[in-house]
Amino acid sequence: MRAQFKNTVSELAAQDDSIVIVLGDISVYMFKDFWEKHPNRFYNMGICENTLVSVTAGLSSQGFNPFVHTICPFLTDRSLEQIKLDMCYNNFAGNIVTCGATFDYAWDGATHHAYTDLASLRMLPNMEVLHLGSKREVDALIRSQYRSPRPTYYRLSDHPHTIETNTEFGKGTVLKNEGAPLTVMTAGPILTSVMEACRDLPVNLVYFHTLKPIDKALIEQFRDTEILVVHDAYGLYEAISEVPALRMRYHGLPDAFCGWYGTVHDIRKRIGLDPASIRSAVQTLLADRSQAARPR
Amino acid sequence: MDDICRKIRSEILNISNKSGHGHIPTSFSIVEMLTAVYQTMRHDPSRPDMPERDLFVLSKGHASLGFYCTLAAHGYFSFEDVYAFGAFDSRFGCHPDRTKVPGVEASTGSLGHGIGIAVGMALAAKIAGTKRKVYTLIGDGESNEGSVWEAVMVAVNTKLDNLTVLYDNNQSQGRCLPIGNPAERFAAFGCDVSELHGHDLPAIKQALAKPTDRVRVLVCNTVKGYGCETLSENVYEWHRRAPKPDELNKLQEELHAGAI
Repeated sequence: MRAQFKNTVSELAAQDDSIVIVLGDISVYMFKDFWEKHPNRFYNMGICENTLVSVTAGLSSQGFNPFVHTICPFLTDRSLEQIKLDMCYNNFAGNIVTCGATFDYAWDGATHHAYTDLASLRMLPNMEVLHLGSKREVDALIRSQYRSPRPTYYRLSDHPHTIETNTEFGKGTVLKNEGAPLTVMTAGPILTSVMEACRDLPVNLVYFHTLKPIDKALIEQFRDTEILVVHDAYGLYEAISEVPALRMRYHGLPDAFCGWYGTVHDIRKRIGLDPASIRSAVQTLLADRSQAARPR
Repeated sequence: MDDICRKIRSEILNISNKSGHGHIPTSFSIVEMLTAVYQTMRHDPSRPDMPERDLFVLSKGHASLGFYCTLAAHGYFSFEDVYAFGAFDSRFGCHPDRTKVPGVEASTGSLGHGIGIAVGMALAAKIAGTKRKVYTLIGDGESNEGSVWEAVMVAVNTKLDNLTVLYDNNQSQGRCLPIGNPAERFAAFGCDVSELHGHDLPAIKQALAKPTDRVRVLVCNTVKGYGCETLSENVYEWHRRAPKPDELNKLQEELHAGAI
């Protein structure tokens, strides 16, 4: 997805002088071509995330469309106040693009995990929040949103899904609609695992790449079903609950630091977010429903 | 004291008395710096959005009353407009909001943010190939924030010779985390540093006019509450306090008796 980000932005920058890249010493080699073609619009600014965001706001204030990019928790957790004030409160737009997702840097430990970025940025006034899942989504949504008058957050991962989804900003996708009483809702790259888990189960499956604004109209279509949110982050459950009075459950992160190493797949398995565990969670819920429906 | 600076201070006192709000000593310490900037930079109060204007960012946003009165003195609006300072529906909050007040380029308040935004603005001017200049005013207390020094490093490394940082050295952090010798620190970061009397309007203007090929820092040695002995000798008591009517009269007398 990072390579797609670079390719899309490079294509856009060839036609659009307003694009400026601000890096926190990440993805620098990948952007080598961009730097060679547009040396005055490429800044590997340093490992100073607070200032990266403030500078991005300053560039935006003067009509540029900047992209600030580095590792997820460092840009979003550390610089939350710069995003909140310098971008959202000042009404300076700009594009915040992160890599690392929740557990892409599993082997680096919990300092490099991101649990709250989507949830906390979703709560900032003016923000647009995207949990992108595929290369197609990266390409389409950067193209549609990079000139947005609002600050836009794009969360990337090294483990994209390859499933066809609606790439329109603010729109979700119904991937399975069996008129079932249970609907699984998910977002981002974990769709691969959720799809595998639910493929032959009698549930509906709905997917989102845009967490803010969330597709409320789509959620309303499943209001009469029980909703199981499967997500390897916080933020989607909270976004869906913007629609009032839903019957919802969350199957996702524990209230703990996931302090193991290995790979994203190892951690997901440990916390019940691998395909088998997701399937088991869905099956348990289906069994509970069936038990509850049985005459006594 | 220059007449315009005395007028600005007098209105700061009146508005603080009327509104019940205001960081008066910290606003007083920057009046000459603000005046020098607005008498130097390219701007047009009748066209606050003039595309070729220079930009000023008040990074120490709590000195907003001094900022508003300086903008009023230069024709952006009337002093009377600012009398609603801090009121519910007022445009003029105790920290400046760029979406409400003409002439305010960035909304500030949380310390250590404005200078980073100013660096981005100066970089934008460079990328666009314009001659526009960017000025930002930071506090010595604000400079406890690491983000100030991040921003300075980035500004120096990106060779922003169109950026001027005015440093209000009013000793506000002596009781807490003193900066020590700020001129030496900024010089060590690679800036073109001048240290000067922060209430000497001609000297500040002269320093602003001097050409430079580096990030310019003016370390302005100032006195909190400059112009009123009562304020400058009781800075902690007056840090965030509005004068009552009898106190206002006394402060106005001190101000108009001449600079201390």
